[in-house]
Amino acid sequence: MYKMNGKLADDQSEPKGPVTDRRPIVTCCGELEVFSAIEDNLTQALPKDACEWKRSLGRPIRNVHIGATFVPFSSLALPKPGQWDLIRKPVFHIYWTDCTDVDLYKNNVREDIETWIKELNSRDISDWLIVVVENYDGKRTKQLIPRTTVLDKIRVDFALKQGDRCISVINPGKSENKTADSWRGLVSRIRHLLLVAYARALSRLEDHVRQQREKRNELGWDFMKYFVLQEELAQVLEMLGLNDEALVQYDELDALFSQFVVNFTSCDNLKWLYQFQKPLERWHGLKLAPTLLPSNPSILELRAYLFSKQAQMLLLTNRIWEMASRCLPFLHTCVKELNILEITAPPGAVWCWLFLGSMEVLQICDKFNQADQVEEYSKHTASLWEYASQKIRSLGELCALMPNAIPSSEQLHIVVGLSAGMGDSPGPLNHPSPTDKLKEALCSQDAFTKTYLELAELAMGTYKHVGRLRMARLVGQELASFYLLLSETQKAAAFLGDALRTFENDGWQDLAAQIQISLAECHKKAKDTVKYVKACAYVCAAAEVDTLIRWGYFDEMNKFLLKLEKPLDVPFNDIIKINSVHITSDLVVMQGAKIEVEFIIESNFPKEVVCTFVGVSLENEDDKKNNEKHQTGKMLTKKDLKWQDPFLQRLKIKKTLDYKQNKQLDTSGIASKFTLQRKDSSSPNTQANLDLCLEVENLPTSLTPGVNVLKLSKTATVIGKYCIGVAALYINKLHLVSQQLIPRLTIEVREESPSIRLYKRAGPLLLGIEQVMNLILTIGSYLIEPKSKIKLTASSGLTFQVEANEALANSIEIEVGEKPTFSSTKVSLRVFADLHSKDHQVTIQVPWTTKPILVPLTFSPPMSTTWRLFTISHRKFVQVNVVGQCENSLIVESPQLKIKDIPVHSNNCDSSLIIYNGSSNSFIWELTEVGLTNCVKVEFSIQYKLNQGDDYKTYQFFFDITELKTLYILDAVVEPAKGSEFCRVGIVCNLHLSISYVGPTEDTDLDTRSIMYEVLAEQSVWAVCGRTAGVVCFTGEEGSVQQVILDVMPLTSGFLPLPLVRISKYIPAETSLPDKPSKGDTHPRLEPFSSGQVYNRSKGKQLHIIAGTSDNNPQ
Amino acid sequence: MAVCAAIVGKENSPKFFCCVNPDEELNFQYKVLSSLDIIEEKLNPTNKPGTEIKELYLGMLYSLETCKIYGYVTNTKIKFIIVVDSSNLQLRDNEIRSMFSKIHSEYADMVSNPFYTPGEPITSKLFASSIKNIITGTV
Repeated sequence: MYKMNGKLADDQSEPKGPVTDRRPIVTCCGELEVFSAIEDNLTQALPKDACEWKRSLGRPIRNVHIGATFVPFSSLALPKPGQWDLIRKPVFHIYWTDCTDVDLYKNNVREDIETWIKELNSRDISDWLIVVVENYDGKRTKQLIPRTTVLDKIRVDFALKQGDRCISVINPGKSENKTADSWRGLVSRIRHLLLVAYARALSRLEDHVRQQREKRNELGWDFMKYFVLQEELAQVLEMLGLNDEALVQYDELDALFSQFVVNFTSCDNLKWLYQFQKPLERWHGLKLAPTLLPSNPSILELRAYLFSKQAQMLLLTNRIWEMASRCLPFLHTCVKELNILEITAPPGAVWCWLFLGSMEVLQICDKFNQADQVEEYSKHTASLWEYASQKIRSLGELCALMPNAIPSSEQLHIVVGLSAGMGDSPGPLNHPSPTDKLKEALCSQDAFTKTYLELAELAMGTYKHVGRLRMARLVGQELASFYLLLSETQKAAAFLGDALRTFENDGWQDLAAQIQISLAECHKKAKDTVKYVKACAYVCAAAEVDTLIRWGYFDEMNKFLLKLEKPLDVPFNDIIKINSVHITSDLVVMQGAKIEVEFIIESNFPKEVVCTFVGVSLENEDDKKNNEKHQTGKMLTKKDLKWQDPFLQRLKIKKTLDYKQNKQLDTSGIASKFTLQRKDSSSPNTQANLDLCLEVENLPTSLTPGVNVLKLSKTATVIGKYCIGVAALYINKLHLVSQQLIPRLTIEVREESPSIRLYKRAGPLLLGIEQVMNLILTIGSYLIEPKSKIKLTASSGLTFQVEANEALANSIEIEVGEKPTFSSTKVSLRVFADLHSKDHQVTIQVPWTTKPILVPLTFSPPMSTTWRLFTISHRKFVQVNVVGQCENSLIVESPQLKIKDIPVHSNNCDSSLIIYNGSSNSFIWELTEVGLTNCVKVEFSIQYKLNQGDDYKTYQFFFDITELKTLYILDAVVEPAKGSEFCRVGIVCNLHLSISYVGPTEDTDLDTRSIMYEVLAEQSVWAVCGRTAGVVCFTGEEGSVQQVILDVMPLTSGFLPLPLVRISKYIPAETSLPDKPSKGDTHPRLEPFSSGQVYNRSKGKQLHIIAGTSDNNPQ
Repeated sequence: MAVCAAIVGKENSPKFFCCVNPDEELNFQYKVLSSLDIIEEKLNPTNKPGTEIKELYLGMLYSLETCKIYGYVTNTKIKFIIVVDSSNLQLRDNEIRSMFSKIHSEYADMVSNPFYTPGEPITSKLFASSIKNIITGTV
């Protein structure tokens, strides 16, 4: 490749490091002194500006920068027609001349050009240019005649149709500002023509590459040869500044090679791959700086070279992240290919190479530390850090560099071998290269530890930074195992704890269990008995772990449990699972009764455990926060206890409408009160208050693996509302405590206070008879002091007694006595109320409350009495009616009626009578001498007793009789109308009404002088024709009679009672008496007479009415 | 063909795990767990604003020296993960895709089973054998 440069004596031929110069070669002919004066300027000016590059096959137009290498013209170096590697040959040819004299041109130069053109034409070369360099001397302005300059002549002679092949330029060496335009013209012309020529050569190369690739399955095809070819294409593109397209070429090579290796075992014609099947001798790093591919490379060298080229292209296109992202797959591919090609290497050599590879990429990434770049590549570098840390750890294990390892001489030899194979690539001062670092790390355990920890921490940190927490945790787990080897248990435990939390959050129980095992070992190593027991408990309860391991940890747990000094609280977590909680007693429990709860739990211990205590705490509900969920009912199931995702809960949405002041709708919306509750990841408060708790009674009790039913109970002592708090199981000093059982199950403990009641027995309470009542004392949920007393006080007239033989008293005291709770005692209370008052009250004072209990009692007399006054003209009779009220029959005797000043005559028999409950008996007396008194006081008395043997008691009844005297006698007669003999149905008859005043003459009561009569005939029997009522007045003389005749008509036949006539006092409307205040009586009033004042003589009279004569022909 | 398949629930807890070689299960669990980080990254809409994920197949999540891990997410955020041995070069992307869609349809049938409580780990033996058949390519 660059031997071309060497062959051509060129000022640019000195190699610029290992980079191959792919600038197109341009030959110069003619007056080279002219050219050499402007060569430097031209070389610099050409690639300065971009030039549009149009390509075939529909590829996009790109702006490229093209440079050139100038060589003197030599016909030997010219390419032959059909040659594919034109790209390595001169592609463009320039003839320089500074001849300005036409004659001179004609004589010398013309011939020279002719030869030159001929040479080119003979090889089918059309990419040439003739440059005439002129010196600026002002002559140009004089040359007014066209086609007289040398340039014109040349154009006519050589490029009649290709005017752009000839150009003149004013010597730029002289007056810069005036020649600038012509110089720019020259440069852009050369640039354009050169690109056209170069592009043609390039497409030839592309075709060739394509052809070669087509032949890849032919025998004898060699990848390395092809590689060089396509790389040339890539280099050309790179030279043109098309780094992305160059990358495509390298990627194609990469893919092609990968495909070959993949097919290695299945294809026969890949013999060229055998050259790579040699044992590895060198495992230098990637050498990401521009390098040359060593001759006869190993597969790793080839791969490294290819990757470093790709990396360069990516860096040039500012795609650092992509370089980082490609690294790991690249390293993986290399490992895979080594395996496929069965390439042997000393142990650890490949690891060294992989480590160096990843570290080199990481080091490059480190150089680009802009925030956005770091952000972009961190995702990829994180896994690279991890990979590097894994590789160095593998190396550490191989070379006995792990903590506490003692290297054998063989291992020391390995280290020496590995270091040698890495080669040397020292970094700048204070910036050791990856190779330096690895060598140092392999030298001592300390350096190794430091390097490993640094890398692993970086990996973890980067993972955390990019949000890959799970990956970070896995690195942390690795770190923990390393720290454990270093006996730094605290650090190890911290990493393991983090990992455990992450795994548990995600619900990966298998992995969490593994971490628990590691944690157990960590704590054991740290001699932390408390934590060790805890971890053992978790491990042995983890169903994911092998049973034998679980048994082992179970035994360990029991062994170390004995060494514990204080009780150890451990949350239930997965060790014990609560399947259900069921309150088997009532939700409201009386004080003194038992609260019973049935717990169904699942023990995950691999063997039976003996519990020294099993309890469930009861917590006073008042202490609780209000926002806790409560469970209605008696049962909590597994489903209830499950943590519920608030995101999956139904939202309660309310509409909200806001109004403006003028009541118009302002805004409307919906609102939902939704408080996010995090799953409580912190360890639950295990400090449960177990002062008040339900317990299992038969302790110790054993828990078998699997489902256990535990019955817990407690006698309720203190009243209040309780909720079930936490469950606790004690296994010696291992105290397993559950989380708060939410939703809450609540139990209420109530007390029942004692009560006392006074009941009457069936039947009414009677006055004057000793009866028995029931006094019932009920003791509630608590005991009453036996010596305390109940005091009963009665209102006056009421006496009682409980003792059979004691006298009745107004107030008594009863001792409560030894009474169990919830017992009820009946005490018979003899009660006697005298006849004077019916309503009594008993005040009961009880020892348990200061408030007295008032019991109103209503007694009724043993019999009830009614009376009536009967009048026959002037004679008066009093009837007393007695009705038995007593449950039992009463025996009565000697009824008496006493009226002061009036003798009475009894018409009753003297023998005793039995009055049954509800039956009535009447006694009647005539008042023999009424006298002048109009108003009398009457006393009725009768002797009675309940039982035959009892003494008679006297029943008295007092009443007043007023208006005793008869004032009017009323008589009514119905007679047939004149001319008729009988009263007939339907015929009007006369009702003769006579009212006689029989009262005393001196009686001047005006009210009784005017009376009104009314005929109150039964409407179906009598029809009153005309007047039915009227007013009559009396003078007040005794014996004065008023007669009234009214027309009545019988409506039916038979013996009919006469129409009833009633008289009343008539009080006229206007009372003109001045001494009486006017009550505003504008209407007349009626006042009835009392029964003694009027005697109706016609009462009970009947009249025979004959059926109508003219029934068949009614008038 | 594949060496391991896993079904991971919406909350990232494993619902089903199937390995061709059961001894390797724990090892693969670590790998599947860490692949969840990348699934989360891919599902995070803030990464690519405006692009809604309609494609359920997530492609290769990441590769290790020994294996490659592919992901697939249902619309209900159930993740299917397949682990392929990296020495297996025959397996094409299309085959992985078809494996996933087979698993998806098996899973849909599984969830339709009235005796299965959605969200619980899948314990059906029939399901396990169908998935095993899918990943070993015997269907």
